[in-house]
Amino acid sequence: MSDSAETEYLDIPEMDHDGWADYVEAQGWTDGLPLVPPTEASVARMMDGARGDNEPFPAITPRLLIPTLRSLAANAVMAGCRPSYFPAVLAALRGVLVADYNLHGTLATTHSCAPMAMVNGPLRQELNINCGTNCFGQGWRANAAIGRALQLILLNIGGGKPAVMDRSTFGSPAKYTFCFGENEEESPFEPYHVRNGFRADESVVTVMSAEPNHNLNDHGSTTGLGLLTTFAGGIATPTANTISAKGPYFIVLGPEHAATLARDNWTVKKIQDFLYDKARVPLAWISKENQARYEEAGHFPENDAFRVAPTPDDIHVAVAGGPGKHSAWIPSFGGTAAISIRVKPPAA
Amino acid sequence: MRIVNPTYGIAPQGEGSATAGPVDWMNDPIVLFSNNKPNAKELLLGVRDRLSSIRRVDNVDYIAKGSASQPAPPEMLNEVVRKYRIALLALGD
Repeated sequence: MSDSAETEYLDIPEMDHDGWADYVEAQGWTDGLPLVPPTEASVARMMDGARGDNEPFPAITPRLLIPTLRSLAANAVMAGCRPSYFPAVLAALRGVLVADYNLHGTLATTHSCAPMAMVNGPLRQELNINCGTNCFGQGWRANAAIGRALQLILLNIGGGKPAVMDRSTFGSPAKYTFCFGENEEESPFEPYHVRNGFRADESVVTVMSAEPNHNLNDHGSTTGLGLLTTFAGGIATPTANTISAKGPYFIVLGPEHAATLARDNWTVKKIQDFLYDKARVPLAWISKENQARYEEAGHFPENDAFRVAPTPDDIHVAVAGGPGKHSAWIPSFGGTAAISIRVKPPAA
Repeated sequence: MRIVNPTYGIAPQGEGSATAGPVDWMNDPIVLFSNNKPNAKELLLGVRDRLSSIRRVDNVDYIAKGSASQPAPPEMLNEVVRKYRIALLALGD
């Protein structure tokens, strides 16, 4: 990365599309894909999307520079955001800068974690954030650009450069973007943000340092108990970071699975309690050396198995996706937290 | 073409630089500071063994930060700064 942080504007030669793509690659500003040039005019329009938001940001690790709204907007422009997306980007950034998120650890780790961002509230529809079919996938500009903007900010202002500061053994596709909305309209439960103390008419971004979604396929079960039994088995793996029982995870129920659970009177609380109790990794699945390592870190088995979640409250339940007998498990980095931040609408 | 610098940021005010005085490698207390990753302890204690052939090691102490994935607690770092002149770190896996 060119360390030109002392200069807020850069005068660079006029160049065509290919020249610009080569230029940003040489600067180390890109995730590998082409970027939109952050001209003064386009950045000013982006900043207008967050007009009235004067709350300062803390320094972003590891470079420990305090971003300006303008430099943040430049990254949002480069990511392909519309100005209306910018408040959601800022909320996601505020979330990852909360100390319990452990941004430095999540950027530096060899683990494959990426910042997951789930959007709740009316902003999902205002921005056309995909909450349904293929919500973790491609094809929706808001999902793609909001998550990408957050990553570019962490790269360009934060300094989380891959293979330099970001030491992830493999990385993951989620490091390009990992943003979706809760499918509140097809959820039988209260929206995630309402269960966490926000009003239904507020828009909220929840971030967690996460692995990409792991599929929970269950086409056979016809009861809530059957589904949860399958899910508990899918979650009980000795190879996700959750094995250390140090952090949260998300269960994202597909709407069909959610409907079955609700029909059988499974509340979110009951789901959390069941998975906390039943998702255990048997000792027989873990080498003696690895068991010793868990125990050195203060994680001990109960009877013949290790629990996966520290507490039932560390199991976060949401509903998203479209038709199909699938749900998703999203394990976290471990030493992180799920942080929810209200999106500030632009001043009138 | 004039663009907004996407790497621009402002250095926080009041971030003073620490000044270290001369270090006596033969006598000053040393902390062997572990990041809690596998083998960090073995590596650091191996360093301590090697040091024992060239200097006193009764003031060379091993400390582990507690969690491999989370930062060391500030109070632990303050204590390290207060007690030791030299820190040898295990940073990798």
